[in-house]
Amino acid sequence: MLLEVSGLHAGYGELEVLRGISLTVEAGEMVAVLGPNGAGKSTLLRTISRIDTNVRSGSIRFDGHDLLRASTVQGVGFGCLHVPEGRQLFTELSVDDNIRLGAYSVDRKTIEADVAAVYAQFPVLAERKSQTAFSLSGGEQQMLAIGRALMARPRMLMLDEPSTGLAPQVVEVIFGILAGLKRSGTAVLIVEQNAYLTLQHADRAYVLENGEIALSGTASELSADPRVRAIYLGGSPDEA
Amino acid sequence: MLQLLVAGLTVGSGYALVALGIHIILRATRIVNFAQGEFTIVGGLLALTFVQLFHVNTWFALAGATLAGFVLGLLYERLVLRPAGRSGEIPLTIATLGTVFILLYGHALVPGWGSLPQPLPAFTGDASDAITVGGVSIQVQSIWVLGLLLAALVVLYLFFERTYYGKAIRAAANNPTGAKLVGIDVTGARAVSVGLAIALAAYGGTIIGPITLVGGAGGTAIAIKGFVGAIVGGLESPLGCVAGGLLVGVVEKLIQGLPGVSYGVSDPVVYSLLLVALLLRPQGLFGARSAVRD
Amino acid sequence: MIARLRADTRTLPILALIVVAFGIFAAGNATFAQAGTYAAIFSIAAIGLSLLLGNVNQISLGAAGFFGIGAYAVASLTTWWNLPAWLSWPLATLIGITGATIVGLGLGFIALRFRGHYLAMATLTFGLICAGIFHETKFLGGAIGIEDIPYPRFGALTISGYPAYWFAWILALGIALLTLNLLRGRSGRAFEAIRNDELAAEVLGVPTRRYKILAFAYSGALAGLAGAVYAAFLGIVVPDAVGPQLSFSLLLMVVLGGSGGVSGALIGAALLGFLDISGHQFENTREVVYGVLVIAVVIAAPNGAFGLIRSRFRPGHPERSAEGRVVEGQPRSSTFALPLDKLGVTSSVVEVAHVTQRFGGLVAVNDVSFTLTRGTLTSLIGPNGAGKTTLFNAISGIGRPTEGRVTIGGIDVTGRQPHRVAALGVGRTFQNARLFGEMTVLENVIAGAFRTEHTSFGADLFALPSSRRSEREATDRARDTLVRLGLEPLASTLAKDLAFGDRRRVELARATASNPWLLLVDEPAAGLNAGERATLTADLLKLRDAGMTLLLIEHDMRLVMSISERVMVLKFGTMIADGTADAVRNDPAVVAAYLGTAG
Repeated sequence: MLLEVSGLHAGYGELEVLRGISLTVEAGEMVAVLGPNGAGKSTLLRTISRIDTNVRSGSIRFDGHDLLRASTVQGVGFGCLHVPEGRQLFTELSVDDNIRLGAYSVDRKTIEADVAAVYAQFPVLAERKSQTAFSLSGGEQQMLAIGRALMARPRMLMLDEPSTGLAPQVVEVIFGILAGLKRSGTAVLIVEQNAYLTLQHADRAYVLENGEIALSGTASELSADPRVRAIYLGGSPDEA
Repeated sequence: MLQLLVAGLTVGSGYALVALGIHIILRATRIVNFAQGEFTIVGGLLALTFVQLFHVNTWFALAGATLAGFVLGLLYERLVLRPAGRSGEIPLTIATLGTVFILLYGHALVPGWGSLPQPLPAFTGDASDAITVGGVSIQVQSIWVLGLLLAALVVLYLFFERTYYGKAIRAAANNPTGAKLVGIDVTGARAVSVGLAIALAAYGGTIIGPITLVGGAGGTAIAIKGFVGAIVGGLESPLGCVAGGLLVGVVEKLIQGLPGVSYGVSDPVVYSLLLVALLLRPQGLFGARSAVRD
Repeated sequence: MIARLRADTRTLPILALIVVAFGIFAAGNATFAQAGTYAAIFSIAAIGLSLLLGNVNQISLGAAGFFGIGAYAVASLTTWWNLPAWLSWPLATLIGITGATIVGLGLGFIALRFRGHYLAMATLTFGLICAGIFHETKFLGGAIGIEDIPYPRFGALTISGYPAYWFAWILALGIALLTLNLLRGRSGRAFEAIRNDELAAEVLGVPTRRYKILAFAYSGALAGLAGAVYAAFLGIVVPDAVGPQLSFSLLLMVVLGGSGGVSGALIGAALLGFLDISGHQFENTREVVYGVLVIAVVIAAPNGAFGLIRSRFRPGHPERSAEGRVVEGQPRSSTFALPLDKLGVTSSVVEVAHVTQRFGGLVAVNDVSFTLTRGTLTSLIGPNGAGKTTLFNAISGIGRPTEGRVTIGGIDVTGRQPHRVAALGVGRTFQNARLFGEMTVLENVIAGAFRTEHTSFGADLFALPSSRRSEREATDRARDTLVRLGLEPLASTLAKDLAFGDRRRVELARATASNPWLLLVDEPAAGLNAGERATLTADLLKLRDAGMTLLLIEHDMRLVMSISERVMVLKFGTMIADGTADAVRNDPAVVAAYLGTAG
């Protein structure tokens, strides 16, 4: 098990968002975290990458390390990379700088090859190499955020709604890249709004509701499960 | 006229470096370091100490003072800015004001420094050496000041624009969360930024030393004129800060050179310039609009 | 706020006693008496600065400018004109205060444009310009200043030396009392609300800009008064004495003593006076110590000396607020009374017409139109980033829509400032429950009734009967609201100490305290557990049944579907569905928006 979360209770200040979350991710698999807004999906990722939540109880273990005792920077050192909602790009710096800085935490001997690989995956970024990140469109920023994260040769890549603002073809490219990562042994933990599409590509999924795991199973099981829709849109499953 | 211009650029170089230091700390901590002028004075005095204690020439003193300034900046960030910052932005600003008090009144207590301005040996030859260009007499020291200003700007430009680590520091200031997600130590980057800014202050205080003397109570005036320069030029733009500082110096000397005008008038005029700039174009000549408002 | 001001109210008499005791002690000692006198004078200015910094959170580094205006007004006028003694100083003082107030209004207006360090610099510049003007103006004596200023004289009594101590302290304590009146009334509550959360204050109907300007003017007036007394007692005014040095000293007093309220200012002024005298020989070291003290205080005791004292003597048990009768536990009426709003809202419909909101290249709200009928509960749903909160903002006046029109009760409110929209009877809650943390639950809800209170700055200042009556009514109204929502037991709890589930309900209570007829509720269920959601559902239905019109943004679908008569769905700023809950839930476009489509 690469990532093991158990009994996690966390939130912001007084507010408890995650109420006892337990999940696992293995190397080389893609796990989706689904659920309606406010369910705690983003909070889960932010807690794993230790950005800004307040953990009350529970544990998070990544590759043998206790992430709750680690900082974001240390997590990155362990190979846990997070592409957050809002991307968090360096808006004043160029596309090229953003990509290169992605390799800050790793050995930079092969940086030129790595950068070239990112440009190969996302040709539009190569076109805009010297523009500032701020000037990019939403979709291009998304690609840049993913490219930057790839530079750190992650063992696990966490993505928060990466399809936001992207045209369907580009979303396919993203999923293609993620599939490639899977094949090379990297784990992918993906939070998405677009449940059905994500379930087509993921191996397993968890569905969150009000901070708890309401459903879990393989992607094919959940695709056919009417309870998923009930969770998103209210009402009971028989009405679906 | 040319003489006034050169004199203005010379004293303006000091303001420009103050303004640039303010800009760097602003980028890193989001507040204005009101103590920047005092650090400039202290920097010059540090150089003096190097000269008097170690009997080195002003060049070595410059290097020593700049290095000492860097260390001082690291201490400042660790002991004052970081703890005060936890209480909020206004308390942090007040803490920089407290630092003004400490440095302004405290520097006179250091043995060898005293409260009166003292001369720093010239960089080359004698402080009063002058050359004649186009019928106008220009102090050799002024040329050094401008040259050293340029040198500092080039070094800083190369560091922040062309080195990996320099860009990482900018990234940390631009987006601390994003920086952490990439593995950059944001707190360390902030400390280095402050260190650089104070090193710059020390550098500035030293290079104008041979002409305008080091020490004395001029710190507040230099600080304020540095601010004016930063605001007029654009607080959020490094080029703006430098240009603004030079501009303030030139304006000051031009006003002082006007016949029949008392020396002290230049100050209120400069301050009014600040208010006008704040009212009409708070982002400065080179700044972008979004920086200022709520 | 109640806690802090209660401490002030109790401390003030103690300080007065200390002043009297010291005065008697200093009867034979001219140095002590003089030190005490100047402590009083500076404390007047410090009180103004304390209000500005501590109650409204505006930093001012130019207080000396106002002080100088008062000082020079007295200095120049009393040495120039030939009025009878009993008129000379008071009239000059009045002129000085008026001048300072007008300039204060101006500075306040300018200050509105700035935040944070820009504000600090703007006020610093103001102080420097004043100092420069004082220094260079021949009429004001230039660098030398003005001397031989006559003491105030009333008949046979000349106010100088020992009598000056008493005169100055009576003035200072009087000002402290007036300021305390102000802070305990509606104006003080407005200040505190602005300090805690300016946006939340605006949507309650507090005209934040007006109050910030007032705060500057008031603190300027006080500093001017202090300067006027200073000039007459010292007999000399030199520009250096009213320059940035003084501004920093005043700031020092307020930081050391504690800002917000009045006792901190008095303590700080006395403290600094004491340090000044005892450190007299150690000129430079003394100032270095001040610097170190300021930094230490800012790091370790941000509420100053008074803050430390207060935390030692924490009030034992919560009491009821200063005014207002004890409520027996039953609201006076069982429903929310919804009279026709006095402000002329005659029809009762909310109309949003073709509203579009653009931020640069991003279209957040795209040509949205709908009409709300009075007394209905409508929900606005949609995936993340759909523009729902932006739409709320456009309705409540936070940001002007790029295109389109919003009409409330027949009145066009497009682009109006939030407090003016609120004044029409519109309430609003926020995604993250923006409560005024430093105020109690009761005070928060009283603040909610702001638009229904009718009293003025002056009435508050002098604690006139009209002010007190208004305060009582507002407090009663607030208590009723708390009782109705079952929150009465929490009335004296500080908002920042509340458990999360209670925060939302208190915000709801605050938003409904003024009996708005339209309520915009933004994600009220976020973070609530099942039991709390049930209570919330009951509360919302209660409000609807009482005749309130509700528009709800919510993600909890079960809750939305169970209580909404109508559901509107927004996706990427466009309205894609609008109908009954059932219709919307089964609309394929809505399903696709939420769950996506397979490939």
